[in-house]
Amino acid sequence: MSGKEYAKIGEYTSFEMMAVCGARNIKNGEVVFVGTGLPMLAAMLAKRTHAPKAKIVYEAGFIDSNAIDLALSIADSRLAYNAAAAIGLIETLGLLLQGGRVDVGFVGAAQIDEYGNINTTYIGDFENPIVRLPGSGGGNDIISSAKRIVVIMTHQKRKFVKKLDYMTSPGHLDGPGARKREGLLGGGPELVITNLCQMGFDEETKRIKLLSVHPGVTVEQVVENVGFDLIVPEHVPETEPPTYEELRILREIDPQRLYLGKEKK
Amino acid sequence: MVEPEIEDKRITLKEAVKLIPDGAELFWGGFGFQRPPMAFAHELVRRGKRNLHIYTCGSEIDVDILAGARVVSKFELAFFAIEGIGLCPNIQRRIKDGSVQIEDYTNLAMALRFLGGALGVPFMPIKSMLGTDLIRKYRFRKNKAKVIECPFTGEKVCLVPSVRPDFSIVHVQRVDMEGNAQIDGVVGEDSEGAKAGKKAIVLAEEIVNSAMIRMKPDSTVIPNIYVDYVVECPWGSYPMMVYNYYDYDLGHIRLYYTQCKTEEGWEKYCEEYITGVENHMEFLKKIGIERLIKLRAKKPFGY
Repeated sequence: MSGKEYAKIGEYTSFEMMAVCGARNIKNGEVVFVGTGLPMLAAMLAKRTHAPKAKIVYEAGFIDSNAIDLALSIADSRLAYNAAAAIGLIETLGLLLQGGRVDVGFVGAAQIDEYGNINTTYIGDFENPIVRLPGSGGGNDIISSAKRIVVIMTHQKRKFVKKLDYMTSPGHLDGPGARKREGLLGGGPELVITNLCQMGFDEETKRIKLLSVHPGVTVEQVVENVGFDLIVPEHVPETEPPTYEELRILREIDPQRLYLGKEKK
Repeated sequence: MVEPEIEDKRITLKEAVKLIPDGAELFWGGFGFQRPPMAFAHELVRRGKRNLHIYTCGSEIDVDILAGARVVSKFELAFFAIEGIGLCPNIQRRIKDGSVQIEDYTNLAMALRFLGGALGVPFMPIKSMLGTDLIRKYRFRKNKAKVIECPFTGEKVCLVPSVRPDFSIVHVQRVDMEGNAQIDGVVGEDSEGAKAGKKAIVLAEEIVNSAMIRMKPDSTVIPNIYVDYVVECPWGSYPMMVYNYYDYDLGHIRLYYTQCKTEEGWEKYCEEYITGVENHMEFLKKIGIERLIKLRAKKPFGY
């Protein structure tokens, strides 16, 4: 893409920034496993920009979906539009995903720890929980077996915790080699996208490290909103802002701003 | 040649629900917003069923109603929420007051548990759940999952127990009176789930002539051999969706979500839309024909 024109701070929302970051991490031709919300927008944007040959899979059974209307549910009839196949869960989560054919999986998290382990089940003590969250769904399956994982979540200190209330899905567990030791097939989390920054994983320790801060966000702001020792490199670049073209397409995909958010940041 | 008589497995929704004794274990069909047996859930509430044990992958308002009305006390599942809207409001309160317990698995694990039950094997191997609290923590199923080393390769693998519930409840697009069920669009885990139960009850938007099914046998997902009872139940997944038949009613879903955040609100909803109406037809009349017609699938989209 040449002659890119970048949008300025105030011209886009943080959710738009997150969707753009997600889209840029999908390569052309990849098999992408997504849920609803921002991951769906990211995958749809990637297909309309640099990755037209990406194949989008939704766990309810939609394979190589080309939906033109935004879906509310993972099993939404809208996802059947122009799809290569509509089958079922064992096909998507079993044969495709566990069978090793999914390149990248997108997941969300209510809590994440420094190794990228994820909680989507309970807030509070297991014996006496404060909030019961939706549970794994296909999340644990995706994180267990996709070749790589992108986590998309909003950034609050209470979500980036030293110790999870419940470990629903495996990140890098307790460090290097742990996934292999436990028999997990996929490579685990590679990227965490939030409304403040992008984070990756340190090669040696498999702990979360800061990769880039979004325009207008400071490193201190990120550090203040993480409950564990975040690895911060000496030089932290700014995230490449959304282009006007990316924003135009995103707003075309989500005209009612169901997932893009209302406020401009 | 003598034409063989086609067996008639049709019963009414009321009769179908009468078959379910208190304490029964059910496979619960539908996935997310797609084809949940909503009318069946309403009728279970009307008949005051108690202590049911439900197995499913991911369900939404349907299971929240069953928890709210204290019909179900145990769930084994992977996911429940009202997608795009929020958490299931009634289940939150029932967990807090101790009347509902949830055993957590993953979607693939539940689907494989149904496949295992249908196949007649006691467990299924899976490469999910490994290394997490899904294996370490349990509520009521002490032998929830087991990690073993594969006897052939030595790699670690998780085993999950197969399920053979007393009844399988599924809602589909079309069935004939002898129980050949056809599903349009995604199947979710309903193919395996319908075949895992000791008895299967198929609810359908339409009961069609057997000749129509047999002209397109490749569309049959659940053949008659698995099916014990058939119930005609148009708009049976409302306010959720049935591919090729109707879209979800977002207004009603939001009303449910907002109102059921409090116990009083839920009681009012239950009285107004479930226990206060005689049956499914009366419920549909209450929703109103204009509202329903607006939701009909617009061809060729299927929604």
